[in-house]
Parts: sequence; structure tokens; C-alpha cells
Amino acid sequence: METSVEMVGSVAVVAVSGSIDALTAPELAAAINQQIEEGHTNLVADLAGVEYTSSAGLRVLLGAVKETRSRGGDLRLAGIRPDVKKVLDLSGFTSILKHYPDRGSAVDSYGG
Amino acid sequence: MPSKKRIALVIGSGSVKCAAALGLMRVLEREGISVDMYVGCSGGSLYAALLALGTPVEAIAEMSAALWTRDLTARPNRRALLQALVPALVKFDARFSLRDDRLVNRRLEEVYGGHRFEEAKTPLYITATDFMTAEMVVLSQGALFPAIRASMAIPLIFPAWELDGRMLVDGYLSDPLPVGVAIREGADVILAMGFEAAYQSRLSTLARYVFQFTSVMSNNLLTANFAFHNLAHHSEVLLLVPEFEQKVGLFDTEKIPYVIEVGEKAMEKQLPYLRQLLAA
Amino acid sequence: MNSKKVSIVIGSGGIKCAAAIGLVKVLEAEGIPIDLVVGCSGGSMYAALIAAGVTAEAMQERTLFLWTSEIMKDYTSNLKATQDGSLRFNERSGLVDDSVMNERLHAAFDEYRFEGLARPLRLVATDLMRGERVVLEKGSLFDAVRASLAIPLIFPPWEVNGQLLVDGAAVDPLPVDVAIQEGAEVIIAMGFMLSNRGRMRSMTAVQQQLNNIYMNNLLKATYAFYNLAHHAEIFPILPDFEEPLGMFDTDKLPDIIARGEAAARAELPRIVRLLEA
Repeated sequence: METSVEMVGSVAVVAVSGSIDALTAPELAAAINQQIEEGHTNLVADLAGVEYTSSAGLRVLLGAVKETRSRGGDLRLAGIRPDVKKVLDLSGFTSILKHYPDRGSAVDSYGG
Repeated sequence: MPSKKRIALVIGSGSVKCAAALGLMRVLEREGISVDMYVGCSGGSLYAALLALGTPVEAIAEMSAALWTRDLTARPNRRALLQALVPALVKFDARFSLRDDRLVNRRLEEVYGGHRFEEAKTPLYITATDFMTAEMVVLSQGALFPAIRASMAIPLIFPAWELDGRMLVDGYLSDPLPVGVAIREGADVILAMGFEAAYQSRLSTLARYVFQFTSVMSNNLLTANFAFHNLAHHSEVLLLVPEFEQKVGLFDTEKIPYVIEVGEKAMEKQLPYLRQLLAA
Repeated sequence: MNSKKVSIVIGSGGIKCAAAIGLVKVLEAEGIPIDLVVGCSGGSMYAALIAAGVTAEAMQERTLFLWTSEIMKDYTSNLKATQDGSLRFNERSGLVDDSVMNERLHAAFDEYRFEGLARPLRLVATDLMRGERVVLEKGSLFDAVRASLAIPLIFPPWEVNGQLLVDGAAVDPLPVDVAIQEGAEVIIAMGFMLSNRGRMRSMTAVQQQLNNIYMNNLLKATYAFYNLAHHAEIFPILPDFEEPLGMFDTDKLPDIIARGEAAARAELPRIVRLLEA
């Protein structure tokens, strides 16, 4: 798994690629937490490069959502691949998280 | 003291029992606590919509008593369920129902006709279920009447409602207490008023057997969804399940004052904690 | 290899549950030991056979023996009889005469009890009157499988220890929670979404669609919670079926097993990676 961060206006876009699972999840948690600590609470997780996410990976995403929301921000998902979408649907994530087809529309959803 | 926390009221399915939400609102009004979004499912959508439009609580009590009467399912054909078991006799499709929906449509039109989501003073979300794919559908724009009609399309009783090319049925089939909508829409403190379906003590007929099984599934669906939402939410979800000592049947509208009172008590019990939450 | 406890959970799904045979094939071939087996509804049959240590091939044979349309004896005539009132219905009734099914299940399971199985087993059923989950873990395997399989309306409920039990799918179609409760670490959960009907031509079809909607939503809601509640990894395996399968499409059995095997294989590298970590 690899992560990279890009600021688009006031929105921090965390692009993730590879596999988010029990072994890589701590790394993703650290990357997201760093953004939150720096005061960026409007986050987009760009999952276009993610081919798999396990239950441990999902719990990290949820932890990040809760943290940003309790600080008045949000974590929104972008570019979910069909296989990953299936797991997110089953796990209830698509009904409690806002998700968008690509990073552009996810960033725009914060209203510029 | 006004709080920055966004408060959502989610009213689950429960027919006449949903009027308990009015009791809850009485308490909030007394306390000067305002709601930032309403979510309604099935019977709960009747109340959520009027509250979102800014209708006074006492007026809603009267309106709902006039709307929801026994004659909505008039001329009960007691053999209809059994006759329908022989499809060859009936032209059959997904819109099948045991009751004529003209009266319920007229009543809903009288109250909600002409109103739109866009004129709601507080954001409003109404849930229904896609009959073909089983998915929850969240309605939040356009005319109110079709949304409410779809949300309360009780399967087999009222026909499914077609909206934007989708065949919609009662929201309780996908989630009897759709807390997830409030979470997604950014609520902090969520007041979730839900109702459990009652169990039968004896299953003496096929119809009772079907009702029992439906209640078992819908109560378990309520519990499972709530368990998830409870863990998934970043802030607090206050679950209010009013306990009714008197039996409240599907059309016991004369019990609305009692139902409101029970809802008021349920909210009062949680009030000290709600105050703390909002002050924190 | 390692000391992580591996549990497998086989959810409800009628004939599709035979995909569990494919899963077992993969795990056996890879030498991954199974420490606990949990089953619900149609999945109970396979969970029980797996726990008993029956080989994949023998399981396939038993499916063909157990699962034929003869077990639907009298369905049509009873359905008609409820219509003219000559068949009275109560909480112990079903639309099918269950004698054939009971006979087959006796033949398959009478030699086993929960005690003395090769692997610990838990089966899930529903208390019809109280609407609660019941976990069966002792005594007669026949009773437990029969109760867990009792599709409401179709098969009569089955009484165990004074409780009237029906299909576990009404409370917990993919009972991952039972494995969590038993202290499982790695959980492999094979579940089945029911296929939605394109057309509904009868009251029973509408009723079936309603039940499917409930059960699919129940599967998702329970899984969503278990996923957050579990401290370790859950691997969901949801085999794809392009076309809806009838309850007795046993001629599709090889295909069903192959799909289960393919779905398990796709997940395998991740399972192995975790077990070796």
C-alpha cells in the first residue's frame, strides 16, 4: 500500500493505492492522522488505486471519519472500484459515508 | 443556550405509534432545542414532513388523526390473502395489493399535495425501499406526496409506488429506523425514535404466521442496523423506544393523545443527558 | 503454521450453500486447519458435514441425496387447501409434508451428535414466538439441522428443548457473531445474497420477494456490525451467481461448487498472508 497527500484548496486529498488490510492499515491511519493533526479536517480518500480493503482496513477509514466529523469536518470517498464497492456496501459504509465517482467531484462536494 | 452541534430527529416506522415523536418535540420546544434535520421512515415520514415544513406540533396531532383512519383499508376482504394464493385468477404484478389506495392517496394529497422538499424550513429526508433491488432509497427533493406515499407503501396492503422509474415500497423493509441517513448528512447528536413490532402469542392462521415472521425479521433488522450505526457514529445516538402499556393497533387514532404522552415521557427521561451533551 | 484460530461461517442460501464444498476443497488443499464451524439455514447442512469431517466428495454425494424436489411433498395441494379453508394453519404448520425431508436428514445425520464431532460446531435457528437467535451446540445433530433449515411457511417449525424453532436466516443469515463470541480470530464468512425477482406473478412470489428484501438487508446490517465489532480479520466470501438458482437446481451443483472454489481461491492469498504474518 502507498499513500500520497495533495491539498486542493482547503481539502486534503489522501490518495491510496494497493491493499488496505490488517498489515497496512496502521500506515494509512498514520497518514490520515497527520492531516487531522495539521488541522485539515475536510478530507477526501481517493481510493481509485485501491484493489482491496479488509475489515481491519475499513475500521481505520471509519476511525478517520469519526475523528474528522467530531472536529466539524468529514472524510469522503472517491473513485471506489467495483470490487471494493461490494465490500463497502456489505459493510454498511456506503450508507453512512458520502462517496463520489472521482476525486474532483469529492473535492467539489465541500463547496470550494 | 444554542449549541453548534447539529441535531437530527429520526422517526422510524410504527404507524400510529409514530405520533410519539410529537411528544418528543413538545419537550424539545419547551427546552428551546431546535432540530437541524428530520429523517422519516414509513409512518414516521408523515410526522417528519410536517415538522420539517414548520407545522405546529398541536396542529400535526389533529391532522394526523384525521388522515390516518380505519376506513383507509375499508371493506376488508378477509379471503383476499387466500384467494391471492391462486394467481391464475388475478392479474398479478409487483403492484399487487389487498386494498384500494384511492382514499389514502386522497388524504395524503389533502395534507401534502403541492408541498415540496425544497420549501421545508429544516432539511428533510424520507426513506423507501426499492422493491426490485432491496436497496434503501433516500428521497430529499421534489414533491412530498409521492415520497411519503412510497415510504408508507405497506407491502401487500397498499400498492407499490413508482417514482423516477423505480418501484418503491415501505422504507421499513430496508431499515425500520434509518439512523444512517442522519450520520451521512453530518448530524452530531441523533435522536432516534424507533418502534418494535409486536409478536403474536398464538399463530392461529396463515396470515398471523406471516405477520409474526415479518415482525421477527423487521425487529432483527432494526436491532442489527442500530448496532452498526451506534458503533459507526462519531457522536451520540440517543435511542428512544417508547414503551406502551396500552395496546396501540394500526388504526387506533383515538389513542394519539396517549401515544404523544408516552413519547413525551420517553424524551424527558433522556433530557438530562441531552442537556449535558449539548452543553459540552 | 501458526496459532491463529480459523473459523468458517456458512450463511443461509438454499442450494447455493453447496459452494461451501468448494471453500473446504481450497482450505484442505492449502493445509489450513479449521478450528470452528458455524452454520445457518442451508449452510447448517454443510457446516455439520464439515464439522463431522466428511470429505468434499462425500459432501457432494450427500447433497444429491438430501436435496431433491421430493422433499417438497404436497406443497401445491396444501397451498390450495389453505385457500378453501380445508387446511387449518397454526404455529406448528408448514405447507410441506416434512416426512421425506426428515427421513433423508435422519439418514445423513443420525450417526452424529455435537459431542464427538471432529471440529466444534454451532448452528443457528430462530425462536419463532420470541423472534430471537438460538445457538445450537449440544445433542442431536439431526434436530439442530432440521430446525435451522425450517423455511417459514414451507416446512413446519421444529421443537428443540421446548422452543419452536425455524430458519436461522430470520435473525442472523450470516452468523459471524457466533464465531466472535467463541473467540475466533480469523473468520472466513461465506454468505449469499438472495436473488431478486424480476417479475412477481403470484402472491407467494411477492411474499418471497419481501422475505428476500428483509434477509438481504439483514445480512448487510448484521455483517456491518460484526465487521466493526470484531477485533481481528473477517474475510467475506460472496460467490457470484449470474443467474438466479431454483431451490432444487441440483444439476447446477458442480457449477455452484466451482464458483465457491473460485471465490475462495481469490481470497486465499490474503488469508495465507495474514496467517503467516
